[in-house]
Amino acid sequence: MNLDWLDAFLIYGFFTIVVVSGLGLLLHLQLGLARIANFGVVGFFGIGMYSFGVLYVKVDWPFGDPWQFLVCIAAGTLAAGLSGVVVGWLVGDLNEDGVLVGTLGFATAVFILATTEKELTGGAQGMGGLQFPYDVGGVKANELLWLVITAAVVGGIVFYVWRVHRSPYGRLLVAVGSNEPLARSLGKPTFRTKLWLFAVTSAGMGLLGAMYGVMERFLRPTNLGVDITLAAMVALVLGGSARVWGAVVGVVLTVGFFDIIVQNYLPVPVEWYSQALPVMREALFGAALILVLMFRPFGILGDMRRDKLMRSLHGD
Amino acid sequence: MQLIGDSLVIGLTEHAPLVLAAIGFALLYRLTGLMNVAYSETVTLGAYFGMWVNTTFDLNFYAVLLPAGIMAGLVSVGTYFAVFRPAKRRNVGTLELVIISFGLSIFMRYGLQFVFGYPVRFYDVPPPDTLRVLGTGVSTFRLLALVSVAVVSLALYWFIQKSRLGLQIRALASDEGLAQASGIRPLFVTVLIWFIAGVAGGLAGAFYGVGSSVVPFLGWRQFLFILLVVLVAGKRGLGGVIVVGTATGIALAALTLQTHQAYYAQVILIAGFVLFLKWRSKRTAEAGKV
Repeated sequence: MNLDWLDAFLIYGFFTIVVVSGLGLLLHLQLGLARIANFGVVGFFGIGMYSFGVLYVKVDWPFGDPWQFLVCIAAGTLAAGLSGVVVGWLVGDLNEDGVLVGTLGFATAVFILATTEKELTGGAQGMGGLQFPYDVGGVKANELLWLVITAAVVGGIVFYVWRVHRSPYGRLLVAVGSNEPLARSLGKPTFRTKLWLFAVTSAGMGLLGAMYGVMERFLRPTNLGVDITLAAMVALVLGGSARVWGAVVGVVLTVGFFDIIVQNYLPVPVEWYSQALPVMREALFGAALILVLMFRPFGILGDMRRDKLMRSLHGD
Repeated sequence: MQLIGDSLVIGLTEHAPLVLAAIGFALLYRLTGLMNVAYSETVTLGAYFGMWVNTTFDLNFYAVLLPAGIMAGLVSVGTYFAVFRPAKRRNVGTLELVIISFGLSIFMRYGLQFVFGYPVRFYDVPPPDTLRVLGTGVSTFRLLALVSVAVVSLALYWFIQKSRLGLQIRALASDEGLAQASGIRPLFVTVLIWFIAGVAGGLAGAFYGVGSSVVPFLGWRQFLFILLVVLVAGKRGLGGVIVVGTATGIALAALTLQTHQAYYAQVILIAGFVLFLKWRSKRTAEAGKV
């Protein structure tokens, strides 16, 4: 297949949009429904990425790809899910401050372990050896196919989130987020609900981390910066944290603007690409987070339809 | 025995700025109930301001502390007027305020790179002499830093606990309505707290910066421990913050000496602190049962 017309940066830009959309959707379940501000998204993402990478590169498996790849990516997802259970257990009954400390602490611990465990992760120098589980002819074609596969996985996450919105479990999450003591007094298992939420969403974040690692093909602790958490959070808040499509709309407007429009189409001086543009991107993301929460707290798509209906019937 | 001595000396001298930063953060936390993530950038800015004054005006490190602290304090007040006060007036929720402070932290961290440039910066200070304390070598500079941090921390403690303005600050933190009815001017006292917190954070940043290098992530790297110290100290006031902050520094030094890896020490301490918070929240919940 001749893909000369397709810019490699464009594939990478779209891949980033897809991955951050997935993270934003999962964060939507935590922040938008259950009102749990997970500042450690990148920790779960990193656990999935490094668990997959270490198992794939360092373990001598008796079978090759695609089984080796599938087993490792499943293990990475499972590891992230289990760490989600542990973190969920730790912060499940703490207030916002405790959640901030617990999730931030977890992300810090993952970053530290990725840096210090040189035998396993390659430390600050990084770890290579990751590859696509197929070869359809050329790097660009392989990357394009991986983008399509990742988009299909994120499509699955969209479907899951959409189902949760319409399920009793989703209503329970909203109840936990709105008034947890009341939900508990009505006999709802709020702690178990949060634990399950953390397990599933963290596993999803880990899966996306592993898929991101495959695209990167070289894992470094610098992949685990706060910019991942920021991108998912600002996209969700901008699009509308209470709506299913909020994260996707937000990612298109933020990451899409910078990683596709600015990077590929605007006449930006070449020397800006290494430092000025990434710095400007993060600074503007931070500013967007402040401005949206102050002036349009429900984001572009607004509040949940059922909340709007309740307000129109009963007032604020 | 040697381990205890080394841990005490290294912990107290190397992590002294943590106590100062935690005092500033605790003041804000007690008044506003806000986990102000952007406080980490006050620490970073203190380091940058100090470095800028030191290298531009060729001033001695101790001469730059005052302007660095004041500038960081003014920035802290600026963030209150530009972001937190308008947000409070718009009735922004607690969770949203934490996220806003996270956004502000990111904005300031990356924005300051446009002002001060991208490279790692250093203070221009002469190489210090080394003294032996309890058998451990310590630079005179670190010892002076410890003394300075101790003096500033105790002065702040005295100011908050004993002075008339400190009493007003504590009154406002306890009950804003009652404080206002008693003739306390809330805006003046609030601005004063943001300023003092900024000064404390800025001074801590200057001490951190002169001990190593000045980078945009300087405050962010310390933030988790500042947060943990304040949360673990809980309702025990500034005295509790000083005790927990000092103990944290010593524990970090001891664990680093034991594991030969500063990063492992941090992971162990983070896990220990979070488990402690979990245990304490369970105990509080049990005590609340009837």
